[in-house]
Amino acid sequence: MTNSINEVDDADLFFVTGTNTTTQHPLIGSRIINAVQNGAKLVLVDPREIQLAEFADIHLRQNIGTDVAVLNGIMNVIIEEDLYDREFVETRTEGFDELKCVVSRYTPRVVEQITGIRSNDLMEAARLYARSDKAMLLYAMGITQHTTGTDNVKSCANLAMLTGHVGRPSTGVNPLRGQNNVQGACDMGALPVVYTGYQKVIDSAVKDKFENAWCVEGLDDKPGLTITSMMDAAQKGALKALYVMGENPMMSDPDSTHIELALSNLDFLVVQDIFLTETAILADVVLPAASFAEKSGTYTNTERRVQISHKALDPPGQARADWEIIQDVCRLSGFPMDYTSAEDILKEINQVTPSYAGITLERIEKEFGLSWPCPNEDHPGTVYLHKDRFTKGLGTFLPCEFRPLAEVPDQEYDFILTTGRVYYQYHTGTMSRRVSLLEREAPEAMVEVNPEDARRLGIRNNDLVEMTSRRGSIKLKAEITQRVPKKVVFSTFHFKEAQVNLLTNPAHDPVAGIPEYKGCAVKIRRCA
Amino acid sequence: MKTLAKKDLAKVLNGWSRDYTVLCPNKKAHNEIMFDVFDEQRFTLDYTKPSMPPKSSFLPHSETVFMVDDNGYHPVIQETKTILFGIRACDMTGILQSKSFMTTDTDDVFYRSRWENTLTVVMACAGPQNETCFCTTTNSGPYARKGYDLQFYDVGESFLVEVGSETGSKLTIIEGFSDIDDSEALDKMHSFQQEADQSIERIPEFAQAMDRLANNGVSDDLWERFGNKCIVCGGCTFVCPTCTCFNVVDRQTADQEGERIRTWDACLYTGFTKEASGHNPRSSQGLRLKRRHEHKLRYFNDRDTHGALCTCVGCGRCSDYCPVHIGTIEVVKAIVKD
Repeated sequence: MTNSINEVDDADLFFVTGTNTTTQHPLIGSRIINAVQNGAKLVLVDPREIQLAEFADIHLRQNIGTDVAVLNGIMNVIIEEDLYDREFVETRTEGFDELKCVVSRYTPRVVEQITGIRSNDLMEAARLYARSDKAMLLYAMGITQHTTGTDNVKSCANLAMLTGHVGRPSTGVNPLRGQNNVQGACDMGALPVVYTGYQKVIDSAVKDKFENAWCVEGLDDKPGLTITSMMDAAQKGALKALYVMGENPMMSDPDSTHIELALSNLDFLVVQDIFLTETAILADVVLPAASFAEKSGTYTNTERRVQISHKALDPPGQARADWEIIQDVCRLSGFPMDYTSAEDILKEINQVTPSYAGITLERIEKEFGLSWPCPNEDHPGTVYLHKDRFTKGLGTFLPCEFRPLAEVPDQEYDFILTTGRVYYQYHTGTMSRRVSLLEREAPEAMVEVNPEDARRLGIRNNDLVEMTSRRGSIKLKAEITQRVPKKVVFSTFHFKEAQVNLLTNPAHDPVAGIPEYKGCAVKIRRCA
Repeated sequence: MKTLAKKDLAKVLNGWSRDYTVLCPNKKAHNEIMFDVFDEQRFTLDYTKPSMPPKSSFLPHSETVFMVDDNGYHPVIQETKTILFGIRACDMTGILQSKSFMTTDTDDVFYRSRWENTLTVVMACAGPQNETCFCTTTNSGPYARKGYDLQFYDVGESFLVEVGSETGSKLTIIEGFSDIDDSEALDKMHSFQQEADQSIERIPEFAQAMDRLANNGVSDDLWERFGNKCIVCGGCTFVCPTCTCFNVVDRQTADQEGERIRTWDACLYTGFTKEASGHNPRSSQGLRLKRRHEHKLRYFNDRDTHGALCTCVGCGRCSDYCPVHIGTIEVVKAIVKD
């Protein structure tokens, strides 16, 4: 998030797209509801009629996978009606002419054809967003989990810069992180192209710095593979060994049949997790890890706040903190590590990561955490990003053209399946499906079907249906609901009994490698 | 009546700790107050309304009720002798109401055992603990009328102590307490009570809302409006002194061994009322909220109220903590406005 969570309370307008905020970030979702009830406006862009739709001033239900067209259309109206922030564009950005040229082709009429959004609604949304003073744009996986994920994100940034809606209190672009520490994992360089704090592996000065810090030579200066590329490489035999930590690709990655083939083609698979997951069952070696309550350390949340977590219980059996396991694996591999605590590691992070330099254990214990960038011990941390200047100086508009889903419906596979999570289950269910109360609330996979489609196909509420894509087939119960538009079905990836990722499309974004979980073609029929 | 100098309080708590587990307000990191085992270093009298009611002393968030192995079933009955020191009058009323509910029609032996082994020492409130206190409306505070073993009134350098039971009386047989029976002390207590009572604002809408509910005068639309924004966290039930619903789970602990656990549950969850067929008589979140509030304000047994107006005891915690403002105060005001 470029803003902090507290700033939600003071925004004048929320532009919410691709986030089912009340179920996936309920505390942020409730702040949005409170703010709207106190007079803030809400523009919702989401194909599904989620809980926030009840509070929206305007709800644009776009055809799935047409986000770039929607955002370009909104920018078209804003430029056409001269509602953009001239001063911001002139002083803080570059590339406006290129943007103008691209979005000029996305007139409301053209956008209506692509997205199904009525041109009047699009224009009203554009005016509401552009004319508000403090506007927060919020998005999540509905924007990123597409083959055009990077383009979708760029378009969100273009829109915010065009209107000057970034770099001020309660004004900014806010991707909501779906896990307690996904921000922290990225910050710590758990990405194929960077070290900690987004220092690029291809930068020779960065390479030198880490070689010196770790007293080693020859650190790899080429970007590594993303998960989707690793699985392709494994299936081809180019990748021989995989060490998986706290991830369950057998359930969470698209096209599970392909994942199983890829993993079984490896020479060596190590899985480090707190439970024996579907992926761990396939492993040559399983390393039992301690859960959050059984180890100390820090997490970095969605507002970039680094927070402390203390050990409350001893880990069971042979389980140990992840860092202890990794340290021993390194020692045995011939690289001596001798940290004695998570704090030791934080000290090293402070030394090699400029944005974390001032985030010491002592400070985060005293101050309820600190948000980066925090370049030194006297720095108070950063509540919102991009005040006065962007990290690189001027913000560059990166206009994008609309590209359709990698797999569009046809006569046989005539529905679009879009996937997500429900309130009561978490991801692949490794943890939440072991909790009886959560199992009572959401015991099995459901597929949401629009009433009109259900009538045509003779499907009633709770009927068992078979859902098939080009990659696989599952059986699950139908929930007949207006929440999904016609010709769209929604389901979740929590349940191994009806593993929705057997169906999803492994096609992925060319830059980020993120798969298109949010749209693939399927057919459904009622089971006899 | 008794009196106890403030400077002698720690000595008394230390003394009690020899025979009892004494739970009292302790100051934690970031000055947070938690009711926890007495620790002289962290014990404090500088506290307002604890964020949680003391109900977990009787119905823990999660407890094993029996174990099972080859030799049969073994109930797990807790008999730890405990003193709750410094609880508030609203919570005292909540304890009485819950005890009555949990042990009258069906005797919950697990609950009863904890109840029988727990003594209560109420700290009377001199005024509202924060802006959501409304015990004077529900007739359940700011000082306890019954149920306590001892009740403390803070009158400056010392406490006036009311003895509410035989066991309470025995607690005062320890160095520090002395008898005080002059009329001056009684007057002091009465004026404390009177001032406290007057300093807590009444909510005139409360009785009106109860009337409306009793006469079916509340539209379903109102409940749906609340239901639309409820995020189903169940927090209002967890912080409520009189919510005692629980769920039961069986768990295998070893090859031939298992245990039955009960955990807090909430009527706001969909599965709470869902039937085996899939049918749910409380089919929407609005109807589930209606059920909860009617349980507090309409459907209660006079036997269970112990002199209070209803089975809401006016602690205001649901209004303190609900992320989308569906606390009892907001609900009764909306009912009257509806």
